[in-house]
Amino acid sequence: MTREMTVGVGAGADHLDTTEMVLNIGPQHPSTHGVLRLKLKLDGERVTACEPVVGYMHRGAEKLFEVRDYRQILMLANRHDWLSAFCSELGVALAVERLMGIEVPERAVWLRTALAELNRVLNHLMFLGSYPLEIGAITPVFYAFREREVLQGVFEEAAGGRMHFMFNRIGGLKEEVPVGWTGRAREAIGLVRKRMPDIDKLITRNEIFLARTKGVGVLTPEKAVAYGVSGPVARASGVDFDLRRDEPYLAYGELKVPVVTRTAGDCHARFECLLEQVYVSLDLAEECLNRVDAISGPVNVRLPKVVKAPEGHTYAWTENPLGVNGYYLVSRGEKTPYRLKLRTASYSNVQALATLLEGCLVPDLVAVLGSMFFVVGDVDK
Amino acid sequence: MELPQVLGEPIRFILNWGRKYSLWVFNFGLACCAIEFIAASMGRHDFMRLGVIPFAHGPRQADLMVVSGTVTDKMAPAIKRLYDQMPEPKYVISFGACSNCGGPYWDSYSVTKGVDQLIPVDVYVPGCPPRPEALLHGILTLQEKIAAERSGFGGVRKTAAELSAPPVPPPT
Amino acid sequence: MELPGKGLLKGLGVTLKTMTRKNGVQQYPDVQPDLPARSRGVIALMEANCTVCMLCARECPDWCIYIDSHKETVEVPGAARARQKNVLDRFDIDFSLCMYCGICIEVCPFDALYWAPEFAYAEGDIRNLLHDRGRLGEHMAHVPAPDAHDPMGEPSKEESTAAKKGGAR
Repeated sequence: MTREMTVGVGAGADHLDTTEMVLNIGPQHPSTHGVLRLKLKLDGERVTACEPVVGYMHRGAEKLFEVRDYRQILMLANRHDWLSAFCSELGVALAVERLMGIEVPERAVWLRTALAELNRVLNHLMFLGSYPLEIGAITPVFYAFREREVLQGVFEEAAGGRMHFMFNRIGGLKEEVPVGWTGRAREAIGLVRKRMPDIDKLITRNEIFLARTKGVGVLTPEKAVAYGVSGPVARASGVDFDLRRDEPYLAYGELKVPVVTRTAGDCHARFECLLEQVYVSLDLAEECLNRVDAISGPVNVRLPKVVKAPEGHTYAWTENPLGVNGYYLVSRGEKTPYRLKLRTASYSNVQALATLLEGCLVPDLVAVLGSMFFVVGDVDK
Repeated sequence: MELPQVLGEPIRFILNWGRKYSLWVFNFGLACCAIEFIAASMGRHDFMRLGVIPFAHGPRQADLMVVSGTVTDKMAPAIKRLYDQMPEPKYVISFGACSNCGGPYWDSYSVTKGVDQLIPVDVYVPGCPPRPEALLHGILTLQEKIAAERSGFGGVRKTAAELSAPPVPPPT
Repeated sequence: MELPGKGLLKGLGVTLKTMTRKNGVQQYPDVQPDLPARSRGVIALMEANCTVCMLCARECPDWCIYIDSHKETVEVPGAARARQKNVLDRFDIDFSLCMYCGICIEVCPFDALYWAPEFAYAEGDIRNLLHDRGRLGEHMAHVPAPDAHDPMGEPSKEESTAAKKGGAR
């Protein structure tokens, strides 16, 4: 049976409608940066709603902290944000030291600052390499990992590990650095600084990269602050907040920390923020190493046989490479904490993702997802 | 079907040689070990020299699955599903302590203590995380294992139970 | 006016520069990596130093060290009564569980455990990743001499003992 229908102008919306499709991205997907699952409602290529499903990397770290003593906690604490392991251990050590009232020797403070800044460079290099990879530019990741290998060699000489350094202890560092290490570290920093323009020239002003990231995924500073986004993602939107300058810990009070901000808030601004922060961190690390060479003394304090934190609670927050990480430690006077709660930067960054992705096209979704710079272990702990 | 020995040995050698030097690895990075896996595919260590090609387009085009990182109970059905989607012959390398047997999270309530509880593993690489060179050594061990395989035309023989396992429903 | 495609050309320039240089590939297994002394590859046991105090097994966060021992009485000539000593029966480290944190090596009061940079012990069967005391003793051959400490910091235990011995003579 045929039916005659007159289709006039403007009838498309009623009769030629598209239906909504639910697309599931992840948990295993090359572009989700780990096991993050996104439930998308699509209208053609446009995302109408997005729900991130987290929890695929939930390992119960906070519960495990309650049955580990303070040295073992440091070994476990560096595994939730695996790209910036030193900074994560550092935060826990700072919280415990504050509760116990331990004063860390000066040499240890400067060494910790130098290593924390080098860890920041390692973290940012990883994202500088993998973000273009998701967009489709495969080359920069090789250059980024070339620099990472150089710096990981520096870390391995001092700490013994390439990723989970386990070099912090309550009250300082595990042991003194080898002879000549500061000189070799400075050489490595010089080498990385000399070769960084390669990554810059390869991708930052590349026309295709600009077309895919400029104006895409704009995060307004009000939204950023509302969701608790911090770190380079927030600073790219214009939120001028950096704990290293605003509430200094370690040796940052004596250093001048230039804070990198942008106002555009799009993916390109976030990428540029990371790139500039690498140069800033390399300079800071070099300055700290110069100071370390001028200070003599021990790098740790003599601890009792069984380390017990006195009763009380404290909150220590640090500027991790991905954002602000907070460590809320509640102790009942035993050798294991009663509760150690982690406030992780990536958790808030991923929350902002749900609003950013609405109204995006699917190819833009990949660009935005990669530019939020989160680590799934950090989200799920 | 086992080939007769007089004809079988050179053909077996050639089939195994082809299989062991053309592994297409399925990017299955879960946690920290994934970073060392990526480092092993980069310029310094480069597992492409051993015939292992990264960036397979999906499990259906992959030969080798390197499980790198902690396997949580929430992720476990997805892993089983992805393993089932791989066509034969397929190999699994368990990379790192977490996928060997739970590793540092051995007493956690939400971690599967080892990926070999879900899928059969061919090589276990210890470490937390293992060096990229340790992964290269693991791949060499796997290649030795493949070279010693006795298989007919259909690939490595699987038991009836493994072939008739019910499909795993995805999490809702 | 900017040249169209300038960004692309700059990037291609970098690629051309890298293409004409020698690559940095380390051809493992033909070339073994040059590992620093503190590199955490495998744990080695010096059985002679072990007094079976069980501190390492207790401090290990993963409980991957298995120790068994029994007591023996030793007759010491000239002493009032016989002495008791611990004899090590079994010292296994399960490297499939080990998280390579180094706490066991740090807490051992008798220097019986050491780090060695050996990393090539991947196995097809997970049970072979449990190294017994014979195998752990074999790893001692790979243990490197410890690094000297930075002169601005405190000297290491080995350096201060050597200095004392040298000074006493």
